[in-house]
Amino acid sequence: MTDTAPPNRQKARLNPVLSRYLQAFVMPKGQIGLGLVILLTALALLAPVLFPGGYDMQTRDSLLPASWAHPFGTDELGRDIFVRSIYGLRTDLALAATAVPLSMIIGTFLGLSGALSPRLGSLVQRALDIIVGFPGLILAICVVLVVGAGWTALLVAIVIGGLPGFGRLARATFLSQQHREYVVAARTLGVSNWKIMVRHILPNAIDPIIVQGAVFVVAAVFTEAALSIVGLGLQPPEPSLGILLNVGMRYITMAPFYILGPTLILVLLALAFSLLADALNSTVNRK
Amino acid sequence: MISFLLRKLPSVAVVALISSAIAFILPRLAPGDPALAIAGSDATPEQLAAVREQMGLSKPLIQQYLDWMFGMFRGDFGQSFIMRRPVTTVIGSRLESTLELAFLAMLLMIAIGLVLGVLAGSPRSKWARVVLDIMTTLFLATPPFLTGLLLILFLGIFFPILPISGEVGFFENPWLALQFLILPALALALPQAAIVARLLQTAMNSARGEDYVDLAKAKGVSPGRITWRHVLRNSLGTAVVALGLRAGDLLAGAIVIEAIFARNGLGSLAVYSVQSRDYMVLQVLILGAVILAVFIQLFSEIILAALDPRIRLES
Repeated sequence: MTDTAPPNRQKARLNPVLSRYLQAFVMPKGQIGLGLVILLTALALLAPVLFPGGYDMQTRDSLLPASWAHPFGTDELGRDIFVRSIYGLRTDLALAATAVPLSMIIGTFLGLSGALSPRLGSLVQRALDIIVGFPGLILAICVVLVVGAGWTALLVAIVIGGLPGFGRLARATFLSQQHREYVVAARTLGVSNWKIMVRHILPNAIDPIIVQGAVFVVAAVFTEAALSIVGLGLQPPEPSLGILLNVGMRYITMAPFYILGPTLILVLLALAFSLLADALNSTVNRK
Repeated sequence: MISFLLRKLPSVAVVALISSAIAFILPRLAPGDPALAIAGSDATPEQLAAVREQMGLSKPLIQQYLDWMFGMFRGDFGQSFIMRRPVTTVIGSRLESTLELAFLAMLLMIAIGLVLGVLAGSPRSKWARVVLDIMTTLFLATPPFLTGLLLILFLGIFFPILPISGEVGFFENPWLALQFLILPALALALPQAAIVARLLQTAMNSARGEDYVDLAKAKGVSPGRITWRHVLRNSLGTAVVALGLRAGDLLAGAIVIEAIFARNGLGSLAVYSVQSRDYMVLQVLILGAVILAVFIQLFSEIILAALDPRIRLES
């Protein structure tokens, strides 16, 4: 990757770290991924501006088929399903935007905690192993059981669910770096354990963790959708992609677009972040 | 193999004990009083106390836990609060549905995973490779519930070929039961099969670079025989480990799939028990899921040792 085209070399002179990330967007994969992410985020953010009527505007035309006026048709109360899907996307992205960074930060520090004390590090590792033992949705359902269905339960479930992934990546970096000369030198010079963890080891761990973050956004949204379909996630009338699917299942034979619409948005969202993660993985994570 | 199982016994027992404690505590941490739910909100304090006494909720927690544990060894799993029937009866009535689903899904996962993996791990033309790669990526990226919804839409509604909701017992009418089973089982199996296929493909590609493959080629062994006898045989271990690890996810996926396809299995029982705070059913379900996952993992270790003589279970 050293002898690339001149424009890239110029960027590299400006800021080597940034340019590695920017290179991900030279690839078509990264461009499509980034484009879709921007499009979906913009739709979600601008929903109140684009659809000032809000997600609850009822009409008499219930369960209309898809048309130009209503791309996904209307629901049982005559509300436009496309508008509701966009507001649902807004809910889901807001959830992901809160839960994913939280999980990322806590998980990374848990993974690096071995720098503070080796015993703490292996203890944390055992605890993360227990979380891994609970397959996917069962962990989330246990959280719902304790906290009660709703936004908080989802947030907690997603944050906990992500910890092992982030923790394992951070721990791998910590294990590979802890005996390097520069860490030993810092330790000999009397640098505190905390500072070694944050200033010396963390920068080495950050790249794979950012890629995992992009992957985990998809997992977060899927957790919401799966829990809400079962009826243990968010509760109506708040629109989310999962709730639309939950309610839509009742009308699936009459109005298939009720399900197809939100499903399409979920697929687009998954595609967007997977492509982005893939592109970042091939440029940033290569060492 | 016996000595391997004996050596694993203590760690299995510890896992079972810890998960039984978790399964016991978790439902009880939840807010809300099950006695209130049963007696009704306008019950007098005396009635509430009587209900608690009858359900054994007035005893200290430790006593309740020990009662539950020793009860299970005698085959008494407790009474469901809500359904007022023994937990064994409640679970037993739902078991068949989930077992049929899980069994078919497991078969499909193994079959699809192996076929996709071997196809992608063998020399192909560029286009076949691209098509296979896109297929695996798609299956990999779509979780069971999305696969399920798409299958319902396309094979149940736009092209109504298969039934999309409900079920029929396999022993009542096998042919009809299969029609009801095939879509949910496929939805469960596809994402997991894609993971198995990916791992198998990677293992096969790295096995292809080994010296023994070069030697076989130099001896003039046919490409098909190289793939089957030399490359696949040495890559199957990865696939078996993956299958063992995916089994837990398959179970978890069954919860959503049963909701989508309106099947009355253990998954929908679990959801109903969470909603109605039925401790006694939940604790058995959670414990059962964890123990089952442990046993599947043990089983995959045994198969792994049978496939690869280099791995000794005893060591």
